[in-house]
Amino acid sequence: MFLNSRRTFLKSTFLTTAVIVMSGTELFGAVSPLQTISAVHEDLFPYAKKLGINSASYLKLILNHSRITEREKAFLRNGVQWLNEEAVLQYKQTYTKLSASQRQNILQIISKERWGENWINAMLTYIMEATLGDPIYRANKNGAGWTWLHHTSGLPRPTKVFL
Amino acid sequence: MTYDICIIGSGAGGSPIAYELSNAGFNVVVLEKGKDYKEEDFNKDELAVCRRDMFTPPLKEEQHVINQRNEDGTVTRFVGSEYSWNFWNGSMVGGSSNLMSGYFHRMKPNDFKLKSVYGNINGANVVDWPISYEDLEPYYAKVEKVVGVSGKIVKHKFSEPRSTLNFPYSPLEVNGVTKWFDSACTKLGYESMPTPRAILPHAALDRDGCSYSNFCGSYGCATGAKGSARAALLQKCSAKIITEAFVYKLDSNDKKVTHAHYYDRDKTSHVISAKIFVLAAQAIESSRLLLNSKNKNFPNGLANNSGQVGKNLIFSAGGAGEGRFTFENLSEEQQKELIQAGLFINRSLQDWYDYEKGGKKYKGGTIDFLFEHANIISRAKREFYNDEGKLIWGEELQKKIYKTLTTSRVLTFEVFNDWLPTDYCFVSVDAEVKDKFNMPVGVINLYGHPHDIKVGTHLAKKAVKVLQVMGATEISMSISSSPPPNLVAGGCRFGENSEMSVLDRNCKAHELDNLYVTDASFMPTGGSVPYTWTIYANSFRVAEHLLSVLS
Repeated sequence: MFLNSRRTFLKSTFLTTAVIVMSGTELFGAVSPLQTISAVHEDLFPYAKKLGINSASYLKLILNHSRITEREKAFLRNGVQWLNEEAVLQYKQTYTKLSASQRQNILQIISKERWGENWINAMLTYIMEATLGDPIYRANKNGAGWTWLHHTSGLPRPTKVFL
Repeated sequence: MTYDICIIGSGAGGSPIAYELSNAGFNVVVLEKGKDYKEEDFNKDELAVCRRDMFTPPLKEEQHVINQRNEDGTVTRFVGSEYSWNFWNGSMVGGSSNLMSGYFHRMKPNDFKLKSVYGNINGANVVDWPISYEDLEPYYAKVEKVVGVSGKIVKHKFSEPRSTLNFPYSPLEVNGVTKWFDSACTKLGYESMPTPRAILPHAALDRDGCSYSNFCGSYGCATGAKGSARAALLQKCSAKIITEAFVYKLDSNDKKVTHAHYYDRDKTSHVISAKIFVLAAQAIESSRLLLNSKNKNFPNGLANNSGQVGKNLIFSAGGAGEGRFTFENLSEEQQKELIQAGLFINRSLQDWYDYEKGGKKYKGGTIDFLFEHANIISRAKREFYNDEGKLIWGEELQKKIYKTLTTSRVLTFEVFNDWLPTDYCFVSVDAEVKDKFNMPVGVINLYGHPHDIKVGTHLAKKAVKVLQVMGATEISMSISSSPPPNLVAGGCRFGENSEMSVLDRNCKAHELDNLYVTDASFMPTGGSVPYTWTIYANSFRVAEHLLSVLS
């Protein structure tokens, strides 16, 4: 029972517990992973918001998914830290406090690093899952992503989510 | 109680035996590791089925170790869970036949005598089969009727002999692009042939016909049209199926298997007694179970005093390629034909099933043509990189996805040629990594013979010519030694020589009186076609033998 409770707690706090950001060897501050990821998602694919799709919120569901490994979850969280450390290195500010052009510059810089390319790729993948997955997962509301691409779903559609 | 037959695995290798023996009044039990799904449980949820792998085990619970042999002879070890690399296909009643595309080709007479017809190849363990095409032909015909194969016979230079004139079910409806394909083949002098499919075009056999859902391969069939072992056989017989039953050990004395031990979902152990045991857990897992079932009579694993269990693992060699058709190069009518969802291409080429090059005779293979899978998330993911190979995002990505997915479509091809059996490609069990049941996991020792690449490339170049004549752009091909996890065979090859094979011509273990292996493990060479039809046919053949044994 204790283990179950603790695991549930860890899952629910994965995106809300602050991530420590270092500047070189010194502590710079702390950021909210959810806020950073929300900003990154808007910077990577702003069209999702126009479609009424909250892809960052979808990520909460992913982080509770039985089929997403701890390694994948840790990578998403580590990426938040490394992204912010790059922002601090370049502009002495965390990612969400930067201007739109500065944030794009940070994304361009990290995309040239192996981890950064993989992290952005993972973020884009989850954005596409949110935008184009079945509406039953509550991200692709009213099938807006499918309508955008004139996509006809396969039938039958699911009647329950697989988590 | 003691069952007449205990079958381990409910896929294409085990189900014909369950069907035939239970319908003949014998007491049959099937032990299936996965869950039971029926037509009403299947849907087209890309996230669940294709991105979260709902029909295969989580790798943290059950995995494989892969030892890849490098060109310099060294071996690189990959623990599957660390690299997201696995060889699971479908843990469920009916096995991976639920998720197949159902491209059904028979093997051809020469496939049964590769060594005699084409000779030895250095570094390859090529042998003739102990049975001939003529021995298996009646069972291919039986599968057409009982499982349901649709198509139309078009004679060509490598047509195999048939005992019936045509398929019992008419071909599925095809997309207008098929006309373009046929026309290109005519120009090139190639013999386009309709691809036989294990899919019913209309209601028959107490199953509904195809709904042309546009999402076939990788998905379970909600109408029952697809000839899965579950829909076609297990739902039509009285065999008792115990699900979520993982068989971890077989007991034996020196002559017979006596018990199968399995864990249920709560990891509680159970024992099954039977007169005859049939192992059909798919090639890798069948060898693994035998190797994990050591006892004083079989210290190297059950039926393995010859040391042959797990050896000569094969896959389907070859690869794939594709070309894109874009609206800007097409008339309005052609655009409509191209984008029409649901209907199939269903065309194959077998013109080079056998060919000569440089004065040498080669065994070639089959090329199947099909549209790119309709999964929209994976199609969008393909657009993440621009032509320079740079990761893109924002408006640039949005426009690229929109343009590509709404004004073009990809026609792909798959090449099937022999994966030559060698000493370096085999199944073993791992000394360190165990699964959730504390059993040593299977190790896939991988090696592809260079000859396979040569043949695959020869075939792929022919397919590329078709795409060129059709007017495709962005044409590419990829032939490699990457093993397709869903096209695996061997490990318990059958043969007359008990020192060089595990099974006899009836797929009974040489060393045991009541153990049969009837998944693709028995195949000493794989032919140049997908395996499922041959697995079904052979299992019906063994079923007939078992009927005579038990009677």
